[in-house]
Amino acid sequence: MKAKLRRMTNSKLFTLTLLLIVIIVIFEILSKGKLLSFKNIRSILQSVSVVTFLAIGCGMLLMSGNTDLSLGGVGTLGPMVLAFCIAAGLPWYVALIIALISCALCGLGNALMVNYLNFPTFIATIAMASISQGIAYLISGGKNIDMKDPTLNFIGTKRLFDFIPYTFIIAMVALVIYAIILRKTKFGRSILLVGGNAEASRLAGLKPKKISFILFVNASCMACLAGSLMCARVKTATTAGLSGSQFTGITAAILGGISFGGGTGGMMGALVGIFILNVFNNAMQLVGLSSYYQTVMSGVLLLVALIYDKIMENNRMHRAITAK
Amino acid sequence: MAHSLEFKNIGKLYPGVKALDDISFRTEGGKVLALMGENGAGKSTLLKILAGDIKQSEGIYLLDGKEQDFKNPHEAILAGVSVIYQERQMIPALSVAENIYAGFLPKKGGGIDRKTLYANAQKIIDKFGLHMDAHTKVARLSVAYQQMVEIMKAYSRNPTVICFDEPTASLSDAEISALFRIISELKEEGKIILYVSHRMAEIFQVADSIVVLKDGKYVTSMDVADASEEKLIRAMVGRDIGDTYANLKRNDKYGDVVLEVKNLNNAKVHDVSLTIRRGEVVGLAGLVGAGRTELVRAIFAADKVTSGEIILDGQPVHFKSPHDAIKAGIALCPEDRKEQGLVLFRSIRENTTMPVLSELKKGAFLDKKKEKEIAQEAIEKYDIRTDTMEKLTTQLSGGNQQKVILGRWTNSLMKTKLLILDEPTKGIDVGTKAEIYQMVCDIASQGIGVIFISSETPEVIGVADTIYVMHNGRITGQLKREEATEEKILALAMD
Repeated sequence: MKAKLRRMTNSKLFTLTLLLIVIIVIFEILSKGKLLSFKNIRSILQSVSVVTFLAIGCGMLLMSGNTDLSLGGVGTLGPMVLAFCIAAGLPWYVALIIALISCALCGLGNALMVNYLNFPTFIATIAMASISQGIAYLISGGKNIDMKDPTLNFIGTKRLFDFIPYTFIIAMVALVIYAIILRKTKFGRSILLVGGNAEASRLAGLKPKKISFILFVNASCMACLAGSLMCARVKTATTAGLSGSQFTGITAAILGGISFGGGTGGMMGALVGIFILNVFNNAMQLVGLSSYYQTVMSGVLLLVALIYDKIMENNRMHRAITAK
Repeated sequence: MAHSLEFKNIGKLYPGVKALDDISFRTEGGKVLALMGENGAGKSTLLKILAGDIKQSEGIYLLDGKEQDFKNPHEAILAGVSVIYQERQMIPALSVAENIYAGFLPKKGGGIDRKTLYANAQKIIDKFGLHMDAHTKVARLSVAYQQMVEIMKAYSRNPTVICFDEPTASLSDAEISALFRIISELKEEGKIILYVSHRMAEIFQVADSIVVLKDGKYVTSMDVADASEEKLIRAMVGRDIGDTYANLKRNDKYGDVVLEVKNLNNAKVHDVSLTIRRGEVVGLAGLVGAGRTELVRAIFAADKVTSGEIILDGQPVHFKSPHDAIKAGIALCPEDRKEQGLVLFRSIRENTTMPVLSELKKGAFLDKKKEKEIAQEAIEKYDIRTDTMEKLTTQLSGGNQQKVILGRWTNSLMKTKLLILDEPTKGIDVGTKAEIYQMVCDIASQGIGVIFISSETPEVIGVADTIYVMHNGRITGQLKREEATEEKILALAMD
């Protein structure tokens, strides 16, 4: 029992949750109760949904030892294709399938470059970021495209009991599904093993390349959904789209305890990471700091998380030595 | 006054293993001190501490009577310590001169003084008596010449202490004699020389005194004049080793041929043929780089095969990946446990069940209960010492790590017919080594064919029933255990 309690308090998830609570308490006081007001919680939930999809896609890739910097571009292209198809008169679900397919192709391109041409992940996905962003411009002729579809706009703007946004519900359902895949299935286990050591996994009969392909395609599709939900809310597919938000996804995932080298982490941690990031940004706004400070502070937050992670790691190593 | 170097009670702890324990000895300028010991005795670790590459956990060392505490290799070099490692640390795209002076390039104005650089480098090359142009790119040199560049690099820093870690492993006879000439010159210049090698003949030729380490501990030291090969081996291996092999309960019932390899070829393996029967332990002996690892990796489909046949249980097989090989019943414990064997930051349980995840499926999910049974089975069968199967494998000692991998390949869900062990006892203490030998014999008794690779010849002779010797990617001889001796094997390995 005691050991179990100690394991729990030593876990990343525990500390992360603690950090979230501390942030909430501090800013609840600083903002004189505005942080936890009905309206503000609603707005936090709204902002969480987009990041959640990015963090799922990116987090799964990070756990497998890869990363993807093209998600912002791909997440701009996806909704652009969606809006274009809807404007052309296709029903929303057909349009969404076409959008998902075009994004999946981007993911496939990333996977091919990384696995068969052996390009470094960073370079390959930066190239893809540029390509997908460029195609988004080409499709729209550089202008925003209206996205007027009753179903999509309903999902994007309406809330359950006028409190919980439907986008948030969809995001949480997706998160739970991915958490189950990761924890309970062979595929999920393989992701963590391959992320921990790809060569050892290959020599033990797992298929690192196959996993990498699936996860790159998955990340691109998640970016497509993230972008589409955002556009459904504002009823427009913008050329700015999700540009740059791949870093938000990575930040949330790493804040959530997914290690950059791969092999460790989980979806619940990612969820807490997403909340820390969004609550923090929202709270900074409430207490009246300019958005420039917010940008600086998200960087600082990430650094703090990394430093903390490093300290914990050293402690674990130290315990492992002295135990002998 | 002559230079001196002294180690006092040096210890080094790693998670789960004490790499060095209470090492004390002293040497002085104008002498060559040979450091001897088996693989994993702690020689390289000691050199790394001296080079400022890693920090000792206990004890101190003194250079010329002054305590030193190098924070990084650069500080060590400035203080006059140069270490030439086994692994060459060259920058292939740069010239010989640039490599020799890497980190200490002569400067003029804001840039590099190329004229001085190449002139100085050429001077050193000439002093070494080598036919080499200082402008040549290192990538274009042979391995032996690269090794010589490494030595010149150390020399160029005008060090007080020069350490050689197996310098002759990749050198030919002519280059070795050039090296020895240089060493004797360095001796005359009054430098302190540490020399690590496995080759007895060399030690007697070049060293003045010898320090023997074993399992991270100091065993003894002696003058070369008092040393004999016998004495050294006894100090290095300890006398109980012979008994270990004699006490093994071996399997003597062989079944049908499980694996037959016919004229196998790839980039590193040439025309190799061999057969293994069920229950037989086949040893592969040879020097490092003889192609043994490459051969088993080819059989396991970890590397490509260009031509030749692999016949498993009478059926020709063509595997596309290790995944296929494993499904057909071949298992490989790779040479490098930490890099290729284990996923270090995952648990014992997860590492044990890696190849049988498909068999552990219950519907869409993994059957956790079944998985725990499999992990528990491995822990009990191989006596893996841990309080919980959830312990990360990085926290285990080398021996226990190896047992986790053995458990992975021989659990009740696996249908392993052929188990390949590549250097399974590397860096493992003597007691656990003996345990592993018995485990190998037990595995063979279950009717599994075993390929046993080791660079420690006595180990191959002690454990294997049949021994193949390799050299330069070819099999140069085949011996039964009864007829095998270290001398015979060495002769075949050097060809």
